[in-house]
This record gives sequence, structure tokens and C-alpha cells, in this order.
Amino acid sequence: MKSPTEINVIKMKSISKVYDNGAVALDNVDITIRRGEFVFIVGSSGAGKSTFVKLLLREIMPTSGHLLVNGYNVKKMPNREIPYLRRSLGVIFQDYRLLPNKTVYENVAFAMRVIESPRRLILRSVNSVLDVVGLRDKYKCFPSQLSGGEQQRVAIARAIVNNPALIIADEPTGNLDPETSWEIMDIFQRINAAGTTIVMATHDKMIVDTMQKRVLAIEDGRIVRDEASGGYGYEV
Amino acid sequence: MKFRTTEYFIKEVATSLKRNNWMSLASIGTVTISLFILGLFLMVVVNLDRMASTLESQVQISVYLKDDITKEQTEALRQKLNSLQGIDTVNYISKEDAMKRFSERLGDQKYLLSALDETNPLPNAFEITVKDPQLVKTASKEVENFPGVDTAVYAQDIVEHLFDLTRLIRLIGLAIIIFLAGATIFIISNTIRLTVFARRKEIAIMKYVGATDWFIRWPFLLEGVVLGFLGGNIAAILLRLAYMALTQKIYDMMTFFPLIPLYPFLTYITIIIILSGIVIGALGSVISIKRFLEV
Repeated sequence: MKSPTEINVIKMKSISKVYDNGAVALDNVDITIRRGEFVFIVGSSGAGKSTFVKLLLREIMPTSGHLLVNGYNVKKMPNREIPYLRRSLGVIFQDYRLLPNKTVYENVAFAMRVIESPRRLILRSVNSVLDVVGLRDKYKCFPSQLSGGEQQRVAIARAIVNNPALIIADEPTGNLDPETSWEIMDIFQRINAAGTTIVMATHDKMIVDTMQKRVLAIEDGRIVRDEASGGYGYEV
Repeated sequence: MKFRTTEYFIKEVATSLKRNNWMSLASIGTVTISLFILGLFLMVVVNLDRMASTLESQVQISVYLKDDITKEQTEALRQKLNSLQGIDTVNYISKEDAMKRFSERLGDQKYLLSALDETNPLPNAFEITVKDPQLVKTASKEVENFPGVDTAVYAQDIVEHLFDLTRLIRLIGLAIIIFLAGATIFIISNTIRLTVFARRKEIAIMKYVGATDWFIRWPFLLEGVVLGFLGGNIAAILLRLAYMALTQKIYDMMTFFPLIPLYPFLTYITIIIILSGIVIGALGSVISIKRFLEV
């Protein structure tokens, strides 16, 4: 069902999401994201960005339409396959979502432990991704001993440790100052350069304008703009 | 399940039990009390049941003979009784046998017999048992009409009352067992819910990184099973002690009272109680984690 030669990492066709209270979060959206792309999802709060991210994770079901993520038919797949869809993705949140009572090393290893990876592989992979995010020497620290940027780097390490084809980042720089945000974006760019697709929902105009990557603008549940190398487009 | 995963689960359970030690103790205590009461009812019901069936099988008809019949007539009567349908055994108890039995039963109070002045007012009798207790009533009626028979009696009232009583106790016992099981499941599920709630963020993260529901559920399930198992064990030990003390006491007072012997009865009770604890613990934890898995 999953084929590594799949070119489209995300394929949304006429996707709509109407919540139980009648609110239309996404309205007939068509998006195709190819392997290796770096895509910003922009739009004001409540425009449908979170819904977009939740749909990719199958945290919620689309009301109608067709959605393929990493080869998984998100709408039709049975619940028991959700874990496998999520293993093919790496997720990063604005609030890091680290486990406070586990060290940096354990937090990253956790993502491998729950999918029952062998201990040796865990040791090797965790050390290597901690190198990627530059936190090798802080592996024994607890999240409370780290700065916000460092915590987000741990979260990134956790997201990439299982080698996902797709990284979904929901406002990853939302809690960080500009300088730290750039450190994060630098890591993203390196991960992307290695071939991993990155989809990042953000408010950060400066980042979007500077990076000159593909931009999808969502407004009132619709895609209002899809530019290959665009800017944020309007004032926030 | 892979070994390293099992190891991980066991560590998780140990940590959780330590972290919520008071709550864990409270749940074990509740399981113990519930299962203890449950076990008591079980033992009472089983004993009464057994008593009823013992008495049932022992129901015999005493056929008292008229004093003036001859040996030949008696012998003819024996044959007639033997040929009756559904008759199991036929025993002849002479006046003398009956008196001997009576004096033995009196024991220390044998001196009462002296009031009889060596006369024997007891009649000759046949004691017959039937294969099917249902036949007791009709058989005794029929036998009463045989020549030479004075009366035929059996312990009708006692048997029927005993059946009514066991039915009632079984019903009440069942109701109480169901109620206690429900209450225990509720309390265990609340204890586990505390653990689950304290770790809901962890559970959400596990779901995001692709853990299966069963991977998440196992440690909590095991925790419930451990709580139920410990509570069940304590209850089983208490039940054994109680039953041993009870049988001893009853044996001292009424030798003939037919309590079920200690073994293998207590082994069965122990197994049932511990298994119930495990099942109740597992159910309680599965119920409490259900809501937190919906991420």
C-alpha cells in the first residue's frame, strides 16, 4: 500500500471538513505536495491551518473528498492503521510536547521505543539525530533545564529519528524569538536538503518571506494562493 | 510481544504503582473486601447446595410394621417392596436393632431408657430408599396400603424447606456477587484513571509517534491485573483461614454437620477468587483508559 517511489507525499482532492457544530474549516481543497518539497501553510488564526494538520495525522476525519498521505488512504483506512500512518510522519508542535520527567535522550528514544525498535538501533539513531540538531552534549538534561529553542530541537530530533518521509510542523517557531527561530529553520533546511518533505504551518511573515519556498495560503477554509517561491503576501 | 517491550511494560507498572502507592493500596483493599464477601457467599451457597443434595439422596422412607405380623408375612412384604419400581435399597430393622440405634444416639443420656422398664415400644420396620427423590411421595403412599404396614413416613417438610432456602440464598448470593463485582470494577477503574490521567500527555505523544493502542494499553492493563491479583490473593488467604476456623468450630459443636471438607474445596475457591480479581482488574483498567486513547 505504501510505495517508496510515490512522488506525491500528500494528495488532497476536494477535501472538505465540516465540524459537528456546523463550522466549515476546509472547503473543497485540492493540494498536491511532492516528495522533497518545502511548503509553508499560511493564513490567519482560524483559517483552517490546524484542521489541515489534524487531517494529515488522521486526528480528525475529512467530511468529504479524497486524501492520500504517504500512500495511506486517510479517509478509507481502518483505525488500526492510524499508528502506521503516523510512523511515516514526523510531527512538531508549537509547544514542543516533550515528556518532562524524561531526559533529552529518553524523549527522542521514546519515539523509537513505542514502535518497538531494537535497543542497538535506538542508541545509534538517537545519537545521530542529536548530532543533527546539535544537542549531543545535552543528552542527559531534562526539558526544564533547556531553553525553548533547545526544547524544540529535541522535538525535531524526535520527529526525524524514525526517518519519516514527511515532517509536519505546526507553528514550530511560534514560541521562539527571531534568532532562535532561524536556528530551527536552519535545521529544517538541512533536513529538507537530505530529501525529507517538510510542511510547516506558520504565522511568521519574516520567515516565509526570507525562505522563498512554496506557499499555500488558506483563508476561510479555501486555498487562496499557491505560489512556487512566494512570500507571506499580506500584513498580519 | 517482544521481550524488550515486556521489560518496558513491567518497569512502567512498577513505577506507576510506586507513584500512586496510597491509591494502589486503597484499590487492593477494596478488591480484597469485595472478593472476600464474594467468596463468603460462594462458600455458603456451595455448602448449602451440597447439604441439600446430600439430604436429598438420603431421604428414606421408614415403613413401620404392625406388631402382630409373622416372619413369613414380613418376608413376603420384603419381596413386595423389592419388586416396587424405582426402589434402591430395602433394609430390615428389627425392634431390637432400632432400640440399639436409639440408645446409641442418646449417648450420655442413655439413662432415659430406664424409664421404659426394659420394654421396647419401637416397631419392626423396613427402611427403603428410592433411586429418584421425586418418587418418595408416591412410593410411600403406595407402601402404606400394603398388608402388615402400619405407616410409611419420610422427612418431607424438611427437604422441601431446604430447597426453598437454597434457592433463595442462591438468588441473593448471585445479586450480591454481581453488585460487588460491579463496584470493584468501578473502584479499580477509578484508580487506574488517576494513573492514566497523570500520563495523558505521554499517551497523546505516544499516539502521535505511532504507538498502537495495545502498546499504550498494556501497562495500564497490567497495573489493573496486578492490583486485582494482589487483592484476590489476600482475599483468598482470609477466606481459607475463615473456612478452616469455621469448620473446626462447627466440628467441635456438631460432629454430624456435613460441611464440605477443606480440600480440594479451598483450592477451587482460591482459584476462583484470584481469577475474579484478575478479570475485575483488567476490566477496570480497560474501561478507564478508553477515553484517553481517542487522540
